[in-house]
Amino acid sequence: MSAIDVDLAVNGFITGLFYALMAIGLSLIFGILKIVNFAHGEFYMVGAYAYTLVALAFGVPVWVALPIAFLVGALVGWATERTLMRPLYAGYTSWGLMRDEYAVIVTFGLSLFLINLVDKVIGPYAYRGPPLVETSRVVLGPVLISGHRLLAAGIAIAVILVTAALIKWSFWGQQIRAVSQNRLGASLAGIDTAKASAIVFMLSGGLAAFAGALLSPVINASPDVGIFPAVKSYIIVVLGGMGSVPGAIVASLLLGVIESFGAVYLSYQYRDAFGLILLMLFLLFRPQGLFGEKGREV
Amino acid sequence: MTLLSVNGVTKRYGGLTAVDDVSFDIMASELVGLIGPNGSGKTTLLNILSGLATADAGEILLDDTPCHGLTPEQLAHRGVMRMFQLTRVFRRMNVIDNLLVAGRALGLDHGEALTRAHALISELRLDAVAALDAGQLSGGQMKLLEFGVCFMVPPRIALLDEPFAAVHPTMKEIMGAFIRARHAKGQTFILVSHDMPVVVELCPRAICMNAGAVVIDAPTREVLNDARVIEAYLGGHAA
Amino acid sequence: MTQASPAPAAGAQLTTTKTTVEFRAALVAMAIVALIPLGVSNPYWLGVLIVSMYFAILAGGWNLLAGYAGQFSLAPATFAMIGAYTTGLLGTYYNVPPLLGIAAAIVVSGLVGLVLGRAVLRLVGPYLALTTLSFAEIMRLVASNTIDITRGDLGLGVAGLPIGRLAWYYLFLAVLVVLLILFYLLLRSKAGLFLQAIRDDEVAARRAGVDVVFWKTAAFTLSAAASGLAGALYAHFAELVTPELGLIAQTGLILSMAVIGGMGTLAGPLVAAFLVYVLSEWLRDVGGYQLVVFAALVVIFARFFREGLWGLAKAAVRRWRQA
Repeated sequence: MSAIDVDLAVNGFITGLFYALMAIGLSLIFGILKIVNFAHGEFYMVGAYAYTLVALAFGVPVWVALPIAFLVGALVGWATERTLMRPLYAGYTSWGLMRDEYAVIVTFGLSLFLINLVDKVIGPYAYRGPPLVETSRVVLGPVLISGHRLLAAGIAIAVILVTAALIKWSFWGQQIRAVSQNRLGASLAGIDTAKASAIVFMLSGGLAAFAGALLSPVINASPDVGIFPAVKSYIIVVLGGMGSVPGAIVASLLLGVIESFGAVYLSYQYRDAFGLILLMLFLLFRPQGLFGEKGREV
Repeated sequence: MTLLSVNGVTKRYGGLTAVDDVSFDIMASELVGLIGPNGSGKTTLLNILSGLATADAGEILLDDTPCHGLTPEQLAHRGVMRMFQLTRVFRRMNVIDNLLVAGRALGLDHGEALTRAHALISELRLDAVAALDAGQLSGGQMKLLEFGVCFMVPPRIALLDEPFAAVHPTMKEIMGAFIRARHAKGQTFILVSHDMPVVVELCPRAICMNAGAVVIDAPTREVLNDARVIEAYLGGHAA
Repeated sequence: MTQASPAPAAGAQLTTTKTTVEFRAALVAMAIVALIPLGVSNPYWLGVLIVSMYFAILAGGWNLLAGYAGQFSLAPATFAMIGAYTTGLLGTYYNVPPLLGIAAAIVVSGLVGLVLGRAVLRLVGPYLALTTLSFAEIMRLVASNTIDITRGDLGLGVAGLPIGRLAWYYLFLAVLVVLLILFYLLLRSKAGLFLQAIRDDEVAARRAGVDVVFWKTAAFTLSAAASGLAGALYAHFAELVTPELGLIAQTGLILSMAVIGGMGTLAGPLVAAFLVYVLSEWLRDVGGYQLVVFAALVVIFARFFREGLWGLAKAAVRRWRQA
């Protein structure tokens, strides 16, 4: 393996880590509510803006701005669940019978709303978030990487591991897994399913916002900055198996590496198409992804 | 005249044999009860007969024509009507439209279908709720509606999957009367049920399944007194 | 046993009746649109109305697929783009006259719709949405990147028609009305029953004997063909085709019109297309907040007024009748 290949692999892996921050939340939402959140990219956007504006406008140090971004994302996620997700639990008279369709429309609309609101209220210009460290070049063997990116990758790994551990071993993590497997059964067993849903949305929003914050020095905050990461998340969530956190993590890393090599060896122009093509192929031939359960079809 | 002939039908899911070499013949105008404990393969067998699952081995003949591997729609056109254990109706369409779907799909024109729909609504005592959407009905009324859907065009054979389960006694009465009346006119039924009094009352013949295989196929009284059947239900404590 | 009673049960409104009522309302709306040029001659606003008609066709086609058949495709704008490029490319490289190009666009979009429809037969809900979304994005990327053929984001020049704006207005309106009539006839027939049955419970529909494969594919094909027609017409009107026609944001606009108007109704999406697009243009003049307002409307309607404007109108009429 040549030096370029090592560099591509490492960079692809690191990109995959950031993808994972986005995708875990989306996967959890699907697991617990069986819907795709089309406003997921806007959680990312909100985090990028929160981090950037809080640091630039209020001079807050970056290490404080990061958790603030997480909290803002969590708040937006929580608000989304509380205000918009009720009809999913309703019966005949509401959208209860067309849950999937309701989720698509309302989250799509929310996405449009948030993008345009930010565009009007804050402005269409991109804001560059402050990097975590100013070191622009670190050399690790054949790999050249910026200090910020390296540090951000390390933080991302830590956050991902903590999240995975929480899901697996914490009290609410287990409640969430129970609701994902069988909502009715879980509620009969006394689990507060509404609260579990709220927690999942908060976590999802927080993680996506965190990703937006970490990447804002490179991918500057702008109203539609979240669209691109969102599309990646959809791809990952399907590839990894909807609802599977380990699946999302593995698929994120895979996608990052595939895109990294594909852009160089196959086509730079169509580098975004690889993921989309993979997505379509999986949906058509293996909708349960790499790790998901079957039962996705009519 | 043999209407339905099931020969050596087997279905496996991974390591589990859900239906194990099942064979029986149903004559025209028979009302046969299909009983057996939970997990004995009755619903899987019904799924196979109605096209929702494919048998791994064996053959099925309807009116002496093979119908292995046909889709549910194709079987519906051949006269196989299946009623689900968990009621399936078109919830956002009203009661009459629910019935019209079946009528039109199976070849009736609008006028004919409408006439029959009204007749069925009366027979099933759904007049009071005919204006509502199916999703607004009570559970029992939905079952009656599904019943009606299955009989818009009288099928060659009606497969009823536990129609009396968790149903109000009044509805049970209506359904029972309906079945009896149709049977008297020559309708063929396979009735899956756990409700023994109903099976005794309606079905001259019963087939009992256990662990995927047919344990006994005989007149109902004989079946219910059979030691193997009692053992199957009580779980192996035959005296 | 009891007598059969052939008169409709009290209060029961068959889907055929509902569809006819909606059709009549839609015709009234179309009549109003036909009369507007008597009072409005400003070419800018006529152009806005023409674009509204473009969206009305797209919203109506999507409503057939999603509102009636329950298939939530996120690719309606893509088929408009495919139709537009079909006529544009045929005209540019083979000198195909516009009318033939438009006819070809209908066929090509319809075929692509048929193939996609067959491919996604087994998918539901979010899986269907994501597959069609990927398809849409891939198509747009292809249109953008095959610069040698399509001129990418620069846009492909398309021949116009030797007619004035007013004639374009009535041409679009005529196409819209013809499609409205076609959809009405379709939905009033047994097809309307079958599509809605498929939407509500596909397994139950199959049990009842409905050929689900055929009808789902038919819905996809018709919806795609109608979108392709709209796209082709627009191409000759604007005399330009760009990949922007297939942006997801455009699909968002189309979905919103259908939702705000009332999904699963004939008149709702058509009327909403006009209201939403005209409103958004008017708000653009006033302060530029149109997209924010209109996205908020989508969320509010989806959350609180499931049946859209049509549902609100029905409720208002009911209350007025009881008063």
